[in-house]
Amino acid sequence: MAVERAERIWEVFRQEDEGDPMIHAGNVNAPDEELAMHYAREFYGRRGESQRLWIVARDAITELDDVDLLKPPFDRSHKKPGGYIIKHKLEAAKRRAVDATE
Amino acid sequence: MTAVAPDLDVATREALAELLLSVADDEFIIGFWDSEWTGIAPMLEEDVATSSIAQDEIGHARALYELLGELTGQDPDRIAYGRQPDAFRHAALLNHARGDWAFSAARRYLYETADAVRLAALARSSYEPLALLTGKMRREETYHLLHAEAWLRRLADGAPDRLADAITSLWPDAQEVFAPLAAEESLVRAGLLPEPMANLHATWQARVRPELEPITGALPADAPTRDGRERRTDAFRWLHAEFTSVSGSEDGATW
Repeated sequence: MAVERAERIWEVFRQEDEGDPMIHAGNVNAPDEELAMHYAREFYGRRGESQRLWIVARDAITELDDVDLLKPPFDRSHKKPGGYIIKHKLEAAKRRAVDATE
Repeated sequence: MTAVAPDLDVATREALAELLLSVADDEFIIGFWDSEWTGIAPMLEEDVATSSIAQDEIGHARALYELLGELTGQDPDRIAYGRQPDAFRHAALLNHARGDWAFSAARRYLYETADAVRLAALARSSYEPLALLTGKMRREETYHLLHAEAWLRRLADGAPDRLADAITSLWPDAQEVFAPLAAEESLVRAGLLPEPMANLHATWQARVRPELEPITGALPADAPTRDGRERRTDAFRWLHAEFTSVSGSEDGATW
């Protein structure tokens, strides 16, 4: 069996309790997936602090960091929800709902 | 302290104590040998993993020395640190210095596989405190075994000659994990040790030979010997001086 010898970086995500989001914990160097799992366990789970770990080869991650795509030069405020006052619309909707049930 | 196993007669109790001591000493000594890699393992991540596993083993030894203490009334720390080298009962496999990485990895594989067979039996012990503790230990040992197996495969691929030399030289002493206990018959009769060591030894050999012989070629038909847990070496005496250096300089020291 040929074993890949080059070391790779593995990004590790951990979940503290069932239902919690997976949060990036850090990374480990390991030559293969199996040792990556052991090292992730030792670095991010040996104190009982994790419910679950995700171990992902860094080179399997599709990265997007293009500023033209993520931080375009034009005003983007119209794509944000702020600025729309919906309080009055909500109140009106509630009144209609109450009227309808009476 | 509550009286444990009050229904055991003196002879059976002594036999049980011998069994507990043999397992505890194995875990204690492999933990100390492998902790010799702290700071100098092949890579940082492996350094942390090896050190952590070594710590786990010493933790298991502690729990076993406590069980033993409940049975005999001895102080667990005194059992661990208060004995002379000749009073230790670990298997001859653990008499050797850590050697190079292949040597330590080969020993870990031989030990973890043997320990797994032994713990699978002890989990069925009629001595409930031992069965319960074994159940807990096995949850960690499963990981230790996977880690040892991962290294066996890697070294078989990357450094097959070194690995083969290490396995071959350790093979005879590895049998001694299953060295017969003095009062084994009474342990088996009482269900304290659910299977004779000879059976466990056969189970272990059947499991590891197919893994090891592609690496080493045919391994000899070694078997456990009577004094397999009594032989001591200069390497072990050196380690003993290391791990008793604090307790030896200040008896009863706490921190």
